[in-house]
Order: sequence, then C-alpha cells, then structure tokens
Amino acid sequence: MRGLQLSLNQTQKVRLQRALEKLESLSSKPNSNASVIVADSIPVNHEDGLLKGHGTSEVNGEVVATVCGVVERVNKLVYVRSLRARYKPEVGDIIVGRVIEVAPKRWRVEINYSHDAVLMLSSMNLPDGIQRRRTALDELNMRTIFEENDVICAEVRGFQHDGLHLQARSQKYGKLGRGQMLTVPPYLVKRRKQHFHNLEKYGIDLILGCNGFIWVGEHVEVTDDMVVDQVSNSEQQSAKADKKILSPEEQERSYTPQETRENICRTANAIRVLSTLGFNITVEVIMDTVELSISLKQQVPIHEMLGAEFYVLVAEKEAARRSLTKKK
Amino acid sequence: MLQNRSYVKRTRGGKITKVVREHYLRHDIYCGAPVCKVCDTSQARLSATASTVLILDTNVVLNQIDLIENPAIDDVVVLSIVLEEVKNRNLSVYNRLRALCSNSLRKFFVFSNEHHKDTYVTDMSGESKNDRNDRAIRVAAQWYQTHLAGSVRILLLTNDKENKRKALEEGISAETVESYVRSLSRPDLLDLLVHPASSEDVIMEEVEDLRPSKKKIVYSEHKPLSEITSGIRCGIYHQGKLRVNRYNPFEAYVGSQSLSDEIIIYGRANMNRAFDGDIVAVQLLPQEQWHEEKSLAIADEENEEEEGVHLVPGSADDVPRTTAQPQDSAGETCSASSRPSGRIVGIIKRNWHSYCGSLEPMAKPAGSGGVAHALFVSKDCRIPKIRIQTRQLENLLDKRIIVAVDSWDCLSRYPSGHYVRTIGQIGDKDTETEVVLIENDINTRPFSTQVLACLPPLPWSVSSADLANSVREDLRQLRVFSVDPPGCKDIDDALHCTALPNGNYEVGVHIADVTNFVLPGTPLDDEASQRGTSVYLVDRRIDMLPKPLTEDICSLRADVERLAFSVIWEMTSEAEIISTRYTKSVIKSSAALSYVEAQARMDDSRLTDPVTTDLRNMNTLAKIMRSRRIERGALTLASAEVRFQIDTETHDPLDIGMYQIREANQMVEEFMLAANVSVAEKILKHYPLCSLLRRHPTPTREMLEPLLRTAAAVGLNLDISSSKALADSLDHAVGDDPYFNKLIRILATRCMTQAVYFCSGELSPPEYLHYGLAAPLYTHFTSPIRRYADVIVHRLLAASLGIHRLPTVFQDGPQLNSIAENLNYRHRNAQMASRASVELHTLIFFRTRPTDAEARIVRIRSNGFFVFVPQFGIEGPVYLTPRGEKGSGEWFVDEQQQKIRKMDGSISYSVLQTVRIHLEIVEPQPNRPKLELKLL
Amino acid sequence: MEFVSPEGLRLDGRRPMEMRQIRAEIGVVAKADGSAMFEMGNTKVVAAVYGPREVQNRSQQLNANALVRCEYTMANFSTGDRMRKPKGDRRSTEISLVIRQTMEECILTNLMPRSQIDIFVQVLQADGGTRSACINAATLALADAGIPMRDIVTSCSAGYLNSTPLLDLNYIEDSAGGTDVTLGIMPKLDKVTLLQMDAKLSLDTFENVMQLAIEGCKAVADYIREILLENTKQLQYRRGT
Repeated sequence: MRGLQLSLNQTQKVRLQRALEKLESLSSKPNSNASVIVADSIPVNHEDGLLKGHGTSEVNGEVVATVCGVVERVNKLVYVRSLRARYKPEVGDIIVGRVIEVAPKRWRVEINYSHDAVLMLSSMNLPDGIQRRRTALDELNMRTIFEENDVICAEVRGFQHDGLHLQARSQKYGKLGRGQMLTVPPYLVKRRKQHFHNLEKYGIDLILGCNGFIWVGEHVEVTDDMVVDQVSNSEQQSAKADKKILSPEEQERSYTPQETRENICRTANAIRVLSTLGFNITVEVIMDTVELSISLKQQVPIHEMLGAEFYVLVAEKEAARRSLTKKK
Repeated sequence: MLQNRSYVKRTRGGKITKVVREHYLRHDIYCGAPVCKVCDTSQARLSATASTVLILDTNVVLNQIDLIENPAIDDVVVLSIVLEEVKNRNLSVYNRLRALCSNSLRKFFVFSNEHHKDTYVTDMSGESKNDRNDRAIRVAAQWYQTHLAGSVRILLLTNDKENKRKALEEGISAETVESYVRSLSRPDLLDLLVHPASSEDVIMEEVEDLRPSKKKIVYSEHKPLSEITSGIRCGIYHQGKLRVNRYNPFEAYVGSQSLSDEIIIYGRANMNRAFDGDIVAVQLLPQEQWHEEKSLAIADEENEEEEGVHLVPGSADDVPRTTAQPQDSAGETCSASSRPSGRIVGIIKRNWHSYCGSLEPMAKPAGSGGVAHALFVSKDCRIPKIRIQTRQLENLLDKRIIVAVDSWDCLSRYPSGHYVRTIGQIGDKDTETEVVLIENDINTRPFSTQVLACLPPLPWSVSSADLANSVREDLRQLRVFSVDPPGCKDIDDALHCTALPNGNYEVGVHIADVTNFVLPGTPLDDEASQRGTSVYLVDRRIDMLPKPLTEDICSLRADVERLAFSVIWEMTSEAEIISTRYTKSVIKSSAALSYVEAQARMDDSRLTDPVTTDLRNMNTLAKIMRSRRIERGALTLASAEVRFQIDTETHDPLDIGMYQIREANQMVEEFMLAANVSVAEKILKHYPLCSLLRRHPTPTREMLEPLLRTAAAVGLNLDISSSKALADSLDHAVGDDPYFNKLIRILATRCMTQAVYFCSGELSPPEYLHYGLAAPLYTHFTSPIRRYADVIVHRLLAASLGIHRLPTVFQDGPQLNSIAENLNYRHRNAQMASRASVELHTLIFFRTRPTDAEARIVRIRSNGFFVFVPQFGIEGPVYLTPRGEKGSGEWFVDEQQQKIRKMDGSISYSVLQTVRIHLEIVEPQPNRPKLELKLL
Repeated sequence: MEFVSPEGLRLDGRRPMEMRQIRAEIGVVAKADGSAMFEMGNTKVVAAVYGPREVQNRSQQLNANALVRCEYTMANFSTGDRMRKPKGDRRSTEISLVIRQTMEECILTNLMPRSQIDIFVQVLQADGGTRSACINAATLALADAGIPMRDIVTSCSAGYLNSTPLLDLNYIEDSAGGTDVTLGIMPKLDKVTLLQMDAKLSLDTFENVMQLAIEGCKAVADYIREILLENTKQLQYRRGT
C-alpha cells in the first residue's frame, strides 16, 4: 500500500483505516478485478479478433500487461490504463506548463510528459491580439511574452515531426501570475468540459491542467478592455522588462489582498491533501474540501491543513460523499 | 515462522561500533523429548523412559567434560547458549561436547534456546553477560519444566551458588554436580569430578583456609597477562613454545622469535608449572647464572631421573639434547655455555590435554572406597607427576589410565588433575599398544562411512575406460615385478628392466596410482591428509587409506592388472640416464617377490629365466648408481633395526634379531631414490613455488660433537667438513673388530636430524639439499599407499604433465605449509609409535627369557655407562654403583679419554669397549616391570 | 567458522533455505515519478525513478530507445563504521552498471524513444545482499512510475558455506569469504537477467546454489507482485470513478 508519511495517533489511524475501507467497499466491484500489474496475463477471447492497445504485449500467445493499471476493453481493443505515470497528451487537452527554454521562434515547455512540449511563436496570440505574420522583431521580443520559468497555460495542438506542439490562441491562455502551481499525479485529473474555474466566492482562478499541473491564482478578468489595456501598455511593458523596477502605481496594481492570498493557500493545501490521499481532483471536491476546512467549529488554520487530523477528516468526508452519490 | 528482533552493540578492534544483527526467533524448535505431545518428535534424542533430564550450565561443561563424557551421564539437554560460551572459552571442550551431541549412542540433545521464541531473553540494563546467560539457562530450564509438565524431572546442574539459589527461587530444581553425582551412587564417577577451588563447598573452603599457612610456596606466582604483554613488547620477556627435553624433564627449551637462540630452562622451579607445548613468557637470567643453573640442574636430575632401557635412537631428534653437556661443563671452561637460560614468568596459553600413564605405587588406604590421593606418572616423562583423587585406588593401581590436568597452583609441587578412564592392565600387550597409539596421537578409528563411500565399487578391476584413456599408457606387455618385504600386502612399487637393442636398458619404476582413487577434496582425501601416513607396529598396521585400497585396488599384486604412475628411464649400461619419461599406465605384475626370494634368484647362478635376468641387470645398474651416489658424498648410515618373529597364536614375540639388509633391498632402494629425484626435478621445474619436497638439513658441528668426542677417544679423526668428507672418513673408520664400523655409523646417524617435508616456496634452493643422500633435490613419490606426501607429489606430477589440473589447495601457500607441517608431525609420530611398539615387544620378549649378550659401551656416566646391545638393537644404562648411592667416589670418570676407572685402577671401561651383560626383566615395584642390564 | 550449526540454524536463527524478512513500500519519495523502499532483513534501500523525460545530454539521446541511467550510492550511515566514501568509487560504479543493465533488459525502451529514465538507488542500511535489494527496489519504483516493462525483475543472493547452500546471505555470511551468487530473474518469462558469482564452486554445487537462488527470487517475486497489486488497487479505488 502506498504509505502516507504522516504521524497519526492511534485513533486517527483507526479512523483513516475505516474511511479507506469504506472507500474500498464503495468502489465498483468489476473494476477492482480489472486491476493488473506488470506481467499479469489478461484473459481475452482470441476468436473475436483482438486489438492490443497501450500497456499490453504478447508473450507466447498470451496478452500480458506491461504496466500496472486497469484493463479497459473497448470493442475489440484491449488496453491497460496505467495509473501513476507521466502525462499522455491528447489533442485539445488544457495543460499548465513551465517554460524552460526560449528557442528560435518557439518556447520549450515542461508539461510532465516524456518530452518537452513546443509552443511556437506562431501558435501564440500576440499581445496586440492581431492575426498577422510574425516578424523578426516579434522573434526578438519573445522574452517579453514568456521568459524561462514562467508558468503558462495552453492547449495541446498535436504531434508534429519535432515533438508535441501546444497552442495558446485565446485570451484565456497565456502567462499565469500571482498564484501557485501544484503538481499532482495526472491520473487524478479527469478530462472534462471545463478546466478553467473562477471561484468568485474566494476571488481566485483554478486551472486543472490535464497534465497534473494545477494552477491556483488570483482571479484575472479576461475582458476586451484588458486587451486594449495591453495594447496601450505594450511600450510600458517593454520598459518594465528593462528596468525591473515597479512604480508605486504598478505596485498598487500588483497588490493582492491578504484574504485572496489566504484563499489561494487554502485551496492549494486542499489540493495537496487530496492528491496525497489519491482522491480524484475535481473542482467540486476541492471546493468541498476547502469548505470543510472553513466550516468546522474551529476553522482549520491553513498551515494545519497538512496535519494528520485534516487528512483523516477529508478521507471521512470523501467516504461519506461517495456513499451518498452511490445511493442516488 | 519468522520473527525479527534486532539486538545490538558489539565492539571491534579499537573502534567502538554499534553492530545490529538480526536475530530470528522461531516456532519450530523442538524440545527433543520423545514423550512430548506438542513437538515434532522425529528429531528427538532424549530417551523415552528418562526420569530426569539434565540441563548443564557453562561452567559445569567446561570443568566436568570428562564426567559428562561418561555414559552414566545421559539424557542431557545442551543449550545453544552454553555451547556458544564453551566455544568461546575452550575450543577443545567444545569439540568434545559436539562429539557427544552427534554421537547416536548418547542421548544429548541440543536445544537452540537462543532462537526459540519462548526462551530468548533480552539483555537487561546493568546486567553482565554472564548473568544474562545464566538467566537464559534458567529460562530455558523453566520452559522445559512447564513444557514437559511433570512427565519428566528437569534438573539444572550448576556449581554457581548464586545461579542455583535463583533457580530454586524460580521453582527450577537445581543441584550441584557433586551432589548429583553422589546421588547416582557410583563411586567411580566421583573420580571424574573436578574440584575447582572456587566451586568447592563452604566447609571445604574453611578447611582450605587453614592450609596455606602450613603450605610453603613452591613456585613463584605467574605474572598477570597485562604485565606479560607489556613485558614482551618492551623486550624484558620472550614469548615462545616450551619444549621439554624428551629424556630429561628438568630441561626445556623455548624457541623465541625475539631472540635468535633458544632459551634453556633448567629445573622445575624455573619452568614454573609450564607443560610441554605451552606458550610461555620467559625472562632471561643474568648471564653469570647461566652456568650455575646448569650444574644445579644436574644435581636435581640425578636425584630423580629414572633411566630406562630404550631402543637405539634413530636420529638426533630422539637423543637427549645435552647428554654431552654435563660432561662439558666439568671439562671445559665456562665460556662454552653461551646459551642463554631463563625462567618462566607466565603462561600465555596452556597446552593441557589428557595423558596416559599409571599411578605411582603407594600403600593402599585402610578402608577401600574412601577418597585417596594418588600421584599419577605419565608415560611421557616430559609431563610431571599429577596429583589425583580417587575412590577406586585399589582398582587403578595396576592399570594404565588416562588423566586430565585441571589446575596447578603455586602452593603445590604437582599439578592436580582427575581420572578420565582406564585403558587396561599395565604390561598387557593390547593396553600398552593402545597407550603407544594415544601417546603419539594416532587415529585408529575405523574409516567413516563418508570416507568409505569414496571407494570405487568392489570387486574392482581395470575398466576399458581406463585402457581407452589417452593419458594412460598400456604397459601390460612389460615384464614388471615387485620386490618387497615378505608378507607385504600394500605393494606400492614395481619395477621393470628391458634390454634395448642399442645396448641400453629401459628401466621403469611403477608406482600405484593412488590419486586415481583419492580425489582431492573428497572425505577420503581429507582423512588421508589428516592421517598423513600408515603406521607400522610390530603386530599391526594402521592404514592411511581404507583396506580395499591399500591391499587390493592400489596394491600392485602379481598377475592382476593395476593402474600405475610410471617413471621410465633409458639408461646406458653405465647407468647414465639418457632420458626420463613420466606417464600414467596400466601394468600387470608378473611376480611379487620378497627380498629373500629376489636375492636367492640372483644368487642362484643356475636360474636364467627372464625375471632373474632382469633382476641381475638391475642389480648391476643399481650398484653403479649406488657407487656413484656414494662418490657424490651420500652417507651410508646405519641403523639398528630389529625384527621380531611373532607367534601366530598369541602374537607374542618369539625371537628377535637384527634386520638383515640384502643387496636386493639396496637395489630396490636405489631405483626408488632415482625415481624420487627425477620426480622432484620435474615438479620443481613446473611448480617452483608450490612443490612438496623433502630436505635433510646439514648437521651443525655442535650436533656432531658427541660423535667426534667418542671417535677421538678411540683415536679416530673424523672429517665433518662436508658430507663427502664425512662419508669418506666413516669409510676409513675400520677398527679391530668387524662391527666397529657399523657402530660408528650408528653413532653418526643419531647425530643427524630427521629429514622433513617442506613447501618449495618457503625456502631458497640451496636449502632444498638432502644431506644424507647428497641430493640437491629430493621428494617422496614411491609410496602413495602409505604416505600422503607421495599422494601430493603424484598430483603435482600429474598436473605438470597436463593430465589433471592442479587442485586449488596448491595455490594456498599457508595451507600447503600446514599440510607439510602435519605430514612431518604424523611421520614423526608414526616413527615414535613404531619404536615404542618395538620397545614394548622387546620387554615382552625378555619377560620369559633372561639372556646374556654382548654389548658395546656408547656413553660414560658418573656411576656407570650406557651400553648398546647390537643383537637386540637396544640401549640402556649399566650401573657400576647401586642407584641412589651416587658419588661414592669409588669410580672416576676420565672425560678426555671417555673412560670410567675404578679408583684403585684395577678396572676401567672405555667407550666402544665390548662387555658382556645380562638382560633380565625385574620388578622393583609391583606392576612396574622393567628391563635391567647387568654387567657380567 | 561455523555458519550453520549442526542443529541446522544459521547465526541469525534462520535455516539454510530461509530468506530474511522482506518488506516493501511504494511511493516513498514525493517528487519522483516512481519510488520504493525495499528491506531484506536489516538491508534497507530506497529507489527513485524519474522519467521517461527529456534527455538531459543531447549527445546521449537514442533515437529508437529510451536511455536508462542508474546511480547507486551508499549512505555514509549505512554501515557499522561511518566512513566518508568518495562518490563514484569502483564498487558503486560497478553496482550502478549491474543494476542499469539488469533493469534495461526488462524495460520496453523501444516504446519511449528519445527519452531518458533515471534510476537512483541508495542504500540506507547495509547488511549483505544490497545488490539484490537494490534491484528489487528498482523494479518496484519502475512499476510505480508506470514505465512499461516486459516483466518484473527480482533478485536474491545465495551462497555456499560449511558445505551448505545458504539463501540470502547477510553481512557476516557474505564477508566469510565463501561463494556468493547474486541472481536476477524475470519470473514470468523464466529468464535470468543477472548472474554474478565471486569465488569458485564446482558445477554440481553451483547448480544447487543457483536453484536455491531461483527459489529465493521467485519468493521475492511473489511478494513484489502482491505489493504491486495491492498498490494498484488502492490507487484505483481511492481515485473513485
């Protein structure tokens, strides 16, 4: 069993154990039998014609798993969905990544995939928002858009001959600032319709990247006037890049209220707890967890959210939640 | 089944490190009692009917091992903690205990308490290791008690009062060994008890308290070990092994590495309770005392020394080392005594074991059955008398017994020990033979089943596979024959000699191919290497290899096909070796001759059959080789070997006579020597670092001193500058009577040390010399059935021919060395045993036959002289004055002339003079027969 | 010295054919893609796997396969006497190589071209059989990282002392100077991926010792499979649907 590195006291241990057992009993039965590990043979009916998918190979006429995970069957296709593994990109996935290199006409982005992804300058909406050919000047000014170590949000465009390509052709993509990036195992993030969430109640944005990178940051209004703003400020921005000194006015603009910052931390810790416990990470669960931490008789301080007691509470809560949905 | 418990802490050399070792506690360790219902009883060792099961504590095992070995003590549970402690304290006791545990006749069960889940005890803080182990023993005893719940009584034997008290408190029945043995009502067992001063009863201790005041301190205290080690480090003390003179127990030597010379220790007081073989620390005496000590020793010696009649010593190792020196000191100046002497200040490692011997005759105590103190006299006179307690004195007086030494404190003149077992009646042939074997550490146990399993299936014959083997040459068509002593069954050599068309001869020496059957690393090989050699006693032979190999499979008997390892030369008629060839072969001997037969055939000119012709040819060659060898300087040494005629029924000797050496013997010997030399050259060429060779060190002038003095007394001038010179001057030593020359040769022989085996990597080539044979290289190749050295040489030779790979042991220098050491030790012991056996038979022979014989004086003493009786090969003292009445002044010794003269000049005896003596067995004390020589 | 008592117990109380207690835990290094801790008695090692990821040194990139790298280190506190060993001493280099080659054999490197997989193994506590423990830990970590493999590799050592084949030597037995065979097998494929032996053995004894080591590897394999399956199930049900 994957051990939690927590110092639990005796009652906490029992409670956690009980919650986990409940979760186990709640998980659908056929699924649990579908778990395989490396070198397990997968029972198949050969007569039906068979397509071997990911995570399988054939040894002496047997279909054998090559990774640990869950056997999935789609018509004739048999494959193993691995759980803990690096991110496997699919076209259209929304991801959060980190720029690691600025290269000619492109940025290299680390997205928890086996290779670095490429974001071409041409797949990028320019700050001025105008569709046009990229000039040599644009290329020289690439660093004004993204620098090394910037966290960005983008969409998987597809595989080209030189690797995985991203695109950021919308205002909602782009550089992320004033917040935290968290890393969770990618299998915990489900592909959904909506990956951008504006939690108005807390004044924060939440981006659940399909690659397991999660952004929690101050809410930013994506409006047209902002685009205008950006245009008018483009010269100013380049000046800022040169000087690296913020005017008092700038400081005012970059100021995030304490409350928002606390909310960011609280949400981030909630995600950490969920990820450590190995629970599915959806916006609902995150919100439930955050609310749990606030709603308790004594509000759980942010730093104590990573303590043993809160883990147990979250586990219990999750168990209760799932049994409820099950009943429905 | 597994439980994990880590236990901690151990320190190692200097640095303190914490060592964590796993320690698994088990559920599957059984109690070993067949009555147990819970445990698996298939491995049970205890008897089903046992009423009492004994558990011993460590000290009981250490002190009372002789008692425990007695079959009366049985149904014993040996705890693994006890075994471990015993192992750390005394390895030999441990081995004995292990032997008991594995002996299927004895009901000793080893209970691994340290790994049993219920009997493991964790260390408690503040508890010493001993206390913890004692507790572990009690816990185990308690476990047994509850486990076997009443069906058997569990009795803990401990001599530790505290332990016993605690055991009783915890409800375990515990007793001291003594009270337990008493309760068995077996008085003979009480003799086996050891009474260590520390564990004696309170009453005894009180009595003991009074005694020291009465007792005087006989020996000085030993220094504490810390002082000794620091003393050795700063050079005040010297460490070494004590070797006591075999003929004079009051004189001993310590070979020390820190001092180039040997240190002489004179007298018991200086020896300070050390035994032969002990590792001791010696302090040198001031130089001015070196001489003084010496004369003291002589006085002491003459008081007590008991000279017996012995066989003639075969070499310098058997001769009293300083026989000449007492006389020296009288005649020469002090400067001669340059050897340092010292006294022992401490004993680093004891070499105590058990000794064979008998009790000193003493008046019987009034009431039989009571405790008597007796003095035990070892057969080996290097061992002092040992004080023992016995309740069966009457029974033991005329027995040969074995006694073990327990302690020797500085208040008592003699060490104290305890009785171990009885061998048999004194003087009885079987008993005395057994004593001889035990004394010489000769293994007479039958071969184990594992060893016998290594033998090829019987009946064995040369298989077609052997014949087809390409390394094995088929020499069956050759006319091979063997010449051996009559009745010889282990024939390991055979010869052939074929005249070649070119006038040369092809001469082959065929040696039994023992290594074909004794493969390295097998139990058979291990056993043989341990035994080292076969031992020949007058009436029996103790084989190195099991009988089927010795007498059948390997023995090159007549008219059967046998495997051999052959050395084949082509020689000119002048016996010059033209070429040498070595090969494994198959031969078929056409005749197994005895020396007498072979000699008779050669002498009988009427016989012209092929074998006889071969014999004559070989004899001719051998004579040439021999003369050439003598030319080179080989010594023709003589020994006074005797032969017995043994009664076939009683195995008592009927007649005794000198062993006659014929030409046939010399012929065979010559070819064997040649084969050995050829093989030595071959193996050394291939393996310069790991060959097993045999060397004979050049005797030093000091060693030859007695010979020179004797020779000078009769007006002979011997040149000892080289072996050649010595050989020549021995040849010229012709006196007025025919036996004179031989006598001188015998005297020369005994001045030499014995030849020894060694590993070629250990010494430099000049040291390889074999002095006696005047051969630069020599080894033993020709008797692999009865000597292990030959087996090794066979392997080396086979490897050098590419037949086999060299066994791995040859790559291990130290191990090869220790093998060579063991071979030397075994070889020497075998010789000692043979001699002792001859001595024994001589004694038996003269028991019923008082005889008159001619004898030669070989050594002059202050109150008589030593004579050598050629007819029987024995040597012994003849007293001119009655013993005990020394220095009466009637006789006068002339050192220069080696003469003893009556004061009035009427009679004088000089060395080498012939006298007639009377030999008779006398019994000065009951059950102590000895051979006495009287002048007629 | 006596390593097996006549009662058939080894110094630590095991019988000749018994392994030490084994214990494994998955997911001990938070930042790694896959990690595991493996204990064989008092031998304790941690393995962490990173990758498949972008090849760090472009010149080493393989166009058809993944590059597998391995680094073996011994913690300073892992042995009784704490000594500072220089990084990359001969022994570590050798073991790194051995582990790399063993693991490379089972990883389906052709599925991850132009990428790199790093395996870091560190000995936290050494009591003999570190090689085996490292391989077992590495297998677990690789499986945890979701790296496709032909089969799991398991390893166990066996030796020959006092004329007895012994399974899973501990430090004292290992340093006794007898023969030490370290074996790695792929249990499902029934193949040997690693066989190391120091000192010599006759062929017959070697067969016996080897057989014993195979038994040991299989026992380890059973345990590892159990652990992995349990881990997979846990991940599965905790995530929910």
